[in-house]
Amino acid sequence: MRVADKMAFDQVTANLGRNRSEMSELQNQAATQKRVTKPSDDPVASSRVLFGRTEQRSNDQFVKNLNYAKSFLDFTEQSLAELTEVVARAKELALGQASDGSSNAQTKAAIAAEITQLHDQAIQIGNRRLGERFIFGGYKTTTKPFDPDGNYSGDAGEMKIHIDKETFLSMNLPGNIVFQGQGLTDKGIHFKSEKQATSVDELQAQQQEQAEKQEAQQRGPASLKTAPALAREVGTLKTKDDGANVFGVLKKLEISLRANDKHGVQESIDRLDDAMNQVILARTSLGSRVMTIDSTLDSLATMGVDNKSNISALEDADVFQVVSDMNKTESTLQATLQTSGKLMQQSLLDFVR
Amino acid sequence: MSRIWSMMDVGKRSMMNSQTALQTVSHNIANKDTEGYSRQRVDLQTAVPTGMGKRRVGNGAWATGVSRTNNPFIEKQLENEGNELGTKQATAEAMVRVEQVYNEQQNKGLNKFIGEFFNSFRELSNSPESVAIRSMVKESGEFLAKDFKRVNSQLTKIQEEIDFQVGVHVQEINEITAEIAELNEKIQNVEMHAREANDERDRRDVLIKKLGSTININYAEGDSGEVTITAGNNAILVSGGSKRDLIASRAPERAGKREGNVDVYYKSTDRGTPLNMTRQIKDGKLGGLLETRDNYINGVLDQMDELAFNLSNQVNRAHTQGFDSYSRKGEAFFSPLAQKAGASAMLEINENIRLDSGKIVAGAAPNAPGDNRIANIISTMQYDQHMNNGQHTFDDFYNNVVGSVGVKTARINSELASQKDIVDQLGKIRESISGVSLDEETAKMIEYQKSYDASARLIRTVDEMMDTVLNLKPM
Repeated sequence: MRVADKMAFDQVTANLGRNRSEMSELQNQAATQKRVTKPSDDPVASSRVLFGRTEQRSNDQFVKNLNYAKSFLDFTEQSLAELTEVVARAKELALGQASDGSSNAQTKAAIAAEITQLHDQAIQIGNRRLGERFIFGGYKTTTKPFDPDGNYSGDAGEMKIHIDKETFLSMNLPGNIVFQGQGLTDKGIHFKSEKQATSVDELQAQQQEQAEKQEAQQRGPASLKTAPALAREVGTLKTKDDGANVFGVLKKLEISLRANDKHGVQESIDRLDDAMNQVILARTSLGSRVMTIDSTLDSLATMGVDNKSNISALEDADVFQVVSDMNKTESTLQATLQTSGKLMQQSLLDFVR
Repeated sequence: MSRIWSMMDVGKRSMMNSQTALQTVSHNIANKDTEGYSRQRVDLQTAVPTGMGKRRVGNGAWATGVSRTNNPFIEKQLENEGNELGTKQATAEAMVRVEQVYNEQQNKGLNKFIGEFFNSFRELSNSPESVAIRSMVKESGEFLAKDFKRVNSQLTKIQEEIDFQVGVHVQEINEITAEIAELNEKIQNVEMHAREANDERDRRDVLIKKLGSTININYAEGDSGEVTITAGNNAILVSGGSKRDLIASRAPERAGKREGNVDVYYKSTDRGTPLNMTRQIKDGKLGGLLETRDNYINGVLDQMDELAFNLSNQVNRAHTQGFDSYSRKGEAFFSPLAQKAGASAMLEINENIRLDSGKIVAGAAPNAPGDNRIANIISTMQYDQHMNNGQHTFDDFYNNVVGSVGVKTARINSELASQKDIVDQLGKIRESISGVSLDEETAKMIEYQKSYDASARLIRTVDEMMDTVLNLKPM
């Protein structure tokens, strides 16, 4: 092949350029520790990295949600533990006053005063706040759910927390269930609740259904006692119409004590047992929620690790590979430079003098 | 006697031939680096011999002309492949810019802001009463809208820059065609006298290749050496010594093109109506630029519009379903968009919400500050398939756009590299045929110098012979 001068020079520049650009590419990988620095470096990897990051961001948020729900539930549990103590103390006191042998009108009156305090304490527990939120008010988290007489002004709203792409977890227990036993079924604190609507259509359907039910309830004579806000379907109740109204039970005990009514006190003891069971059932359901949270946290943590290693495998540079490639390219570059010198130096002109 | 003189004549002519050849060598050396130069050689022929009785005696050499060493077939191939290279170069340059808009390996982009937007509603769902979190939701909504605007404006900016480049290229085309027309005339004039217009032809070949890399052309050489060049379907750019300009000007919207972008026009006569030939330009740098601007970038912009439109509509639909922190019926979260076109540029948070984040909706019922049902619906929206008729989530849709931009850029880059190799290879072949080799020229130089020396020596010999003859006298 005939070799023209321009050809030789062009070849030298082209080869040098190629080697240099390879070198700079590798250097960039070494400096950023990334194999993919722009989508075209590896389109499939870069779009998978994006999917991974979306996942990661959601998971991080879910972890936040879970931790928040956990603190909320812990606080609720703590409050209910106190409530249990209140009821237990009331029962203890009532037992002491249930027989004529150990009590008389004076002791009963004295105990009644303590029961009043317990009643107030229970109301206080019902009005507990986490931060600014009343935890037992249903959706009405900014107003006190219970007045001093124990009348409930909250609603039956359940706050659901998004803890996983597909999963919602109920966070709060409305006070009317825990304290007043409404919606208590023979299966314990069982929410006949709607699932969280995940679309506007679902929400509309739910609201429609609820409105119809409400209307039916308002028209029908059956459950006049049920407040409109408690439109939820109530399953078979435990033995009685409703569960126990903790405040009512305490109030009744107090009145019985003041009236020196032994039978009243005895009856109150049964009611206090009901109330105790009711609170414990509520605590059980809290416990199972906390368990859900813990297991979800665990699986999110595993997923997070998998996700991160996945992203890293996709976009991170293999440092050893880069360095060894770099050495290879460097020796190629050296060879190109040396041979280029030889190719360009030689000329017939050097010999004809 | 006449023979001695004729020897003198042969010597003289030979000297002249060597001189011409040496001059050509010097021309070659001087043009060693001239773009598109083809090395030249003096063509020598034996002169007509003189008959002397039964013998015919040679009469030396005769320089018939100077010709260039050039393979027109290779030049044609170079033009063809150069056209392809131009297309790929321009496309690749534009695509690298587009890719940068979507490069979330290094920058923050929609992937992040969409995620954060939905996360902010998740946060709101944790504490639906909170004022602080409402303003966080507002911020994240604003960031999202702003990033949609950024993508839109960066893409339209690339289109505008392409417009500018189209203008520059059209001007370049007009300059090239003007020069080709001039060269056509020169070549015709020179070659009328049966001489070869080597340098002019070289220059014209270079210009045609340049033109070909800018726009798709057809060309053919006429009998008297002039080329006729048409661009697009049949817009005659150069015919003999005359040429017609292309015009780039802003044009109204048409299918596949947005309002205000530049189109390319051609007028067949000075008074004729300009003919829009934009869509006939398929290759070359212009073709690549127009294709990227109109088909590709507009396609991507449409996808962004669709994403912004669907996202804002879905969020608004849920948002208007609930009640804000004042227990009033929710307003639209984003200012409602009337149409898909331009949605990504117009996406904005509702002015009322921007002024008062208390109007952000979390719950589905009034007077229920702890109600988070709407926030939860918006939170799940991220995983619902709201794009492409329920096939993709917002994230899938966006990530697929990024993926496809990456694929397109990677493909055009590798195509460009291989096309470059093809053109380089062809260029090598061309240089191998037409290029100047200094070694070769040096050898020729010595060769011609020797023959110059020898011819001079011949003349001296003849001179001495003449002396001998003149000094012939009876002793």
